[in-house]
Amino acid sequence: MPAEPQFPNVIADGDHDEAVRQVERLQLDYVHRIDDGPLATWPDLFTDICLYRVTSRENWEAGHDLGVIRGESIGMLRDRVTATQNAAVYAPRTIRHILSGTLVDRIDQAGIHCRTNVAIYQTSADGDTLLLMAAVYHDIVIEDGGTPKFREKNLVYDTLRLPDSVICPL
Amino acid sequence: MDQTNTTGAGQRQDRRPAETNSPDDEDVSRIAYRVYQDPAIYAAELDRIFYGPTWNYIGLAAEVPEVGDWRRNMIGEREVLLVRKSEGEFSVLPNVCAHRGAQICQALRGNAETAFMCPYHQWTYDFEGKLIGVPFRRGVKGKGGMPTDFEPSNYDLQALKVAELNGVVFASYHPDPPALDDYLGADMKRMFTRVFDGRKLRIVGKHRQTIDCNWKLQMENLKDPYHAGLLHLFLVTFGLFRLDQKSESFIGVHGGSAALVSRRSPPDEHTGNEEIASYAPDYTLEDPTLLQPVMEYDDDVTLAIQTIFPNIIIQAQSNTLATRHVIPKGVGSHELVWTFFGYEDDDEEMQKRRLRQANLMGPAGYVTLDDAEALEFSQRGVDCAPPEAVATLVLGGRDFESTDHMVTEAPIRGFHRQYRDAMAKDIINAG
Repeated sequence: MPAEPQFPNVIADGDHDEAVRQVERLQLDYVHRIDDGPLATWPDLFTDICLYRVTSRENWEAGHDLGVIRGESIGMLRDRVTATQNAAVYAPRTIRHILSGTLVDRIDQAGIHCRTNVAIYQTSADGDTLLLMAAVYHDIVIEDGGTPKFREKNLVYDTLRLPDSVICPL
Repeated sequence: MDQTNTTGAGQRQDRRPAETNSPDDEDVSRIAYRVYQDPAIYAAELDRIFYGPTWNYIGLAAEVPEVGDWRRNMIGEREVLLVRKSEGEFSVLPNVCAHRGAQICQALRGNAETAFMCPYHQWTYDFEGKLIGVPFRRGVKGKGGMPTDFEPSNYDLQALKVAELNGVVFASYHPDPPALDDYLGADMKRMFTRVFDGRKLRIVGKHRQTIDCNWKLQMENLKDPYHAGLLHLFLVTFGLFRLDQKSESFIGVHGGSAALVSRRSPPDEHTGNEEIASYAPDYTLEDPTLLQPVMEYDDDVTLAIQTIFPNIIIQAQSNTLATRHVIPKGVGSHELVWTFFGYEDDDEEMQKRRLRQANLMGPAGYVTLDDAEALEFSQRGVDCAPPEAVATLVLGGRDFESTDHMVTEAPIRGFHRQYRDAMAKDIINAG
């Protein structure tokens, strides 16, 4: 098990504007690794020990920890990619994230706490596009090995009933 | 056969040639596709099954822990409220005001404190549905108001029949439903109380997903061990489900409820996976903490999936426990609501284990993602099929007896036995 990063260096020593710029670049990098690939590099944007969770607002507000997807380490995230690519049966489709700007809530010892709104569309092999979810990322970003990474990423969707399956990490 | 039969709620003309008009009612190994296609059959299902003499799952007691707590849920296409009316008692009420039909509660859940009040004209009901308040009933300064013969007790919410077993609440629209014990039968009650053993439950969370296929296809999928060792590469790869494991298929007294059970067996007893093209022995997990189940019941069962007629699934796969409520949404769609739970006495490790193993289940589940996709493939195919088409379900014979193996489609046949019994025969088998 990889060691947890000691005392995370907060980006630019609490410089708010620089933090926003770095986090927004990270978010863009993140969604394009999913939407355009390669998905195999998606886990690299997380710290070795991390929390990645996709969950409903219903669970989030009830304080229930359940996730549609839950990863607690970079290894678990790589396993998710492997399963998506090799051990799951689903009709082909493309995913497209539409991001808002990022709101930094606070910067503290744990890292940069921030929120980014996102709409995620899915297009089937037949070419039909549907809105899979309206959601928000609640993230904690830290500097790890000189680059910003997600220590925690919670995709919380407002959409009560997912209109389709979630075939890959989002 | 009469090719222009129009009896019953269907009122549809049957254009099928006589020889493939419909399967013989006694032969449950042949299922007419039109039970997945026909809006008239769907309408009859709502009346005769969901609003008929069945017990419908309505929720877990742990979801409404305090007196006055309520949650919205569905029986068929009707909205109801599950209410904790006292410390140990529940009521199930239509979420529809008796005055003008307005929806009473809009949030998903809440606490009614002392009463339910319709927001439109503030008609007020107690936790059992009794009408206890009508504004301006006696008018204003002697003017207006309700007629003198207005009798509030004629406008109570029509509470459903309720049965509770070890923290699971069922409801029935029928005025005189069978006793829940008789409805389940001894085998099904034994499986049910294996998981719902009387301990208090801890709610882990919920998932809700729309799946575009007929509700029966979802139920059948959980009665179909044939697909489980073939479609689900993830299960097969990690030895979580194998058709060659020690296993049983229990079928309840009326046919429509069943349990599929796999037991631990030594690895050298495994044979038969040679026929599975997708088996991938080299595939390993980088972080194996995902799959570190512990045996938590007093038996050697690793997987138990129970289905109770008409529309509830109880999943106990390793340490991931959940109810899956199948809510019909028209003939070609349903909503699947998963309620994951554990026990109040779970230690921290067990709580984490349940959360990690939940990766196998739900809308992105390593296992159930395949199911939702395959079920939509089924509906698309059925929708494209000619009206005379019939599904064939003869794996393991044509009956629906319990067996000490899972190489069988008997539980699906049993489901269609109870289904056909519950439905009028003139609807299913016009002719």
